[in-house]
Amino acid sequence: MAGSEERVVAVIMVGGPTKGTRFRPLSLNVPKPLFPLAGQPMVHHPISACRRIPNLAQIYLIGFYEEREFALYVSSISNELRIPVRYLREDKPHGSAGGLYSFRDYIMEDSPSHIVLLNCDICSSFPLPDMLEAHKKYEGMGTLLVNKVSAESANQFGELVADPETNELLHYTEKPETFVSDLINCGVYIFTPNIFSAIEDVLKQKKDRANLRRVSSFEALQSATKALPADFVRLDQDILSPLAGKKELYTYQTLDFWEQIKTPGMSLRCSGLYLSQFRRTSPHLLASGDGKRTATIVGDVYIHPSAKVHPTSKIGPNVSISANARVGAGARLINCIILDDVEIMENAVVIHSIVGWKSSIGKWSRVQGEGDHNAKLGITILGEAVDVEDEVVVVNSIVLPNKTLNVSVQEEIIL
Amino acid sequence: MKALILVGGFGTRLRPLTLSFPKPLVDFANKPMILHQIEALKEVGVTEVVLAINYRPEVMINFLKDFEDKLGITITCSQETEPLGTAGPLALARDKLADGSGEPFFVLNSDVISEYPFAELIEFHKSHGGEATIMVTKVDEPSKYGVVVMEEATGRVDRFVEKPKIFVGNKINAGIYLLNPSVLDRIELRPTSIEKEVFPQIAADQKLYAMVLPGFWMDVGQPRDYITGLRLYLDSLRKKSAARLATGAHVVGNVLVHESAKIGEGCLIGPDVAIGPGCIVEDGVRLSRCTVMRGVRIKKHACISNSIIGWHSTVGQWARIENMTILGEDVHVCDEVYSNGGVVLPHKEIKSSILKPEIVM
Repeated sequence: MAGSEERVVAVIMVGGPTKGTRFRPLSLNVPKPLFPLAGQPMVHHPISACRRIPNLAQIYLIGFYEEREFALYVSSISNELRIPVRYLREDKPHGSAGGLYSFRDYIMEDSPSHIVLLNCDICSSFPLPDMLEAHKKYEGMGTLLVNKVSAESANQFGELVADPETNELLHYTEKPETFVSDLINCGVYIFTPNIFSAIEDVLKQKKDRANLRRVSSFEALQSATKALPADFVRLDQDILSPLAGKKELYTYQTLDFWEQIKTPGMSLRCSGLYLSQFRRTSPHLLASGDGKRTATIVGDVYIHPSAKVHPTSKIGPNVSISANARVGAGARLINCIILDDVEIMENAVVIHSIVGWKSSIGKWSRVQGEGDHNAKLGITILGEAVDVEDEVVVVNSIVLPNKTLNVSVQEEIIL
Repeated sequence: MKALILVGGFGTRLRPLTLSFPKPLVDFANKPMILHQIEALKEVGVTEVVLAINYRPEVMINFLKDFEDKLGITITCSQETEPLGTAGPLALARDKLADGSGEPFFVLNSDVISEYPFAELIEFHKSHGGEATIMVTKVDEPSKYGVVVMEEATGRVDRFVEKPKIFVGNKINAGIYLLNPSVLDRIELRPTSIEKEVFPQIAADQKLYAMVLPGFWMDVGQPRDYITGLRLYLDSLRKKSAARLATGAHVVGNVLVHESAKIGEGCLIGPDVAIGPGCIVEDGVRLSRCTVMRGVRIKKHACISNSIIGWHSTVGQWARIENMTILGEDVHVCDEVYSNGGVVLPHKEIKSSILKPEIVM
């Protein structure tokens, strides 16, 4: 049967608690991959994209968070999608290629024909089935999802050059100082199992080099101690760069949305992108209402079934309201994420903001950001259990967990 | 009796409100400022009020014509063609003030809001037999003002000290005077100051007396003081005629609501709020420490504090107006906009938030 030859395994790199510090203060309470975007954990979006791949056998999450942090989510998503999802914990960071390699026995258990590898902190429509078809046609070892960005922003990413006819990856360089190309690496890959031999080669070279250094000069020894551990293999510099132009790697360009989710500000933007994707793919997840029996809903809005939203409130566009949140009479929410157990009281206003778990927003109070997703204080972020008292105004600020605000603040980080 | 009200010039400190109306006609506690004074003067038997004015007298005259009949009082203007200071206007209006009756006359600074205890002032003036009485008020920081040094027991004014560096007293000129017609003989028709030139002269002759003003006093010539003045005025109203203040579950503290204004459900109003004639305050609105002038509409769930909303303006749903925001006449703040200290000139539409105090031309 064809299915047995065509098995696919997906691997999602989720990172660990020492990574993603730019996502504070939200990552103080929850592993960043579980932070909700459009009402679903960040990692849920790539997982559901993987689910659309034909003959998917298994999904692995690889990272160095504690197992228990993912236990609950992994079991519930396995049940929901009816596909085994398993968390594999690295004892320490190995780089994305190194991490993949260290769990090669698990990954190869189902004898997959293809391995889908992606990073958790990107927001995309993940066109995996189409990309898989393209990969099969290219007949290379790997295919990268690529995206065209503005020339000014390209240097934050891996820049690459592809053959316009064959789509072969001709050149790859990570975060260059000078402009190379406006095509960038999206952090989504499809590999054949040969990737493991490629990683093995790199590991072997590194070991040889390390041995060589050991017998050479004192100076070399010094630099070796500063260098990355021998079993650390980066996908970009160690695999993609050397293999570019060798008819092993190909590119598949997405014309749909793609963003990196490094900061809380970007998570709000990405939440909006996923909500607008729901509008096309799963409109039943979006709320609707005209202010008669339910709240007035404007644009794309997600409201968890357990949340209580007063009919006189007005919600949207781009709002996601998590479990057990309560939104009082006459409240107004625009472009925001309201996390679990938050209480928004009567006539309060929340605009361009993220309101952390169990926080409360008093009557006629106002929590507002300017709306610039890239600015340091462009989106107002309230950490867990922040109480904004009645009539207080919080503008362009970040508030760490467990604070009470009884006077208005603007452009401040409150420890 | 007669009275002269020193109206003066453009009232620039109270812009943008004074771009629409001369300062004496700007509403304070639902009534043009000058009417507070004219009504109090009428109470003690003043029959003729002279307004010393150097800017747009026609607007004033047209407006006050109605009140002449209603109050049964004569209101005339004495227009300066050049600024005459605070004493020159008295000389200019000399013929109107000195009618041969020998009765003392009032002189008021138009910026000042107080309980206007004119009856006590008359009584005190008659009791001391001097030529002039000035009202003085106690201030916390006398070094900012001209201090009146007086004899505690009799009230006789000894001297004036302008912005004293060492403490000489804490009473300052409150801008309310009762003068014998003979004082007019001391004033020449030229730009001159009553505080700096005329009063020191009378004091030197030991004929100037000061009476400490009971109750509150506020110079409401600028927005911050206007808002403080409203609080003091409403406090005083609470003591004197509490029945004029609004009551109900939606009211906190002292609130004045014009009988023709409409307040929606689920609002919380007060403390220290004045809502003018014909205003519409929709459901779920929060108002505190603010003045909402004639014909304003505040839409649902808006929140306003420490601000002045000028005539016929609108404030959008879920808008937030605070921190000395002053909206001129006919300003429209769109839904969900936040104004933190915006000072907005008349006939503007505000579509995006004003995050820091600034002037919107």
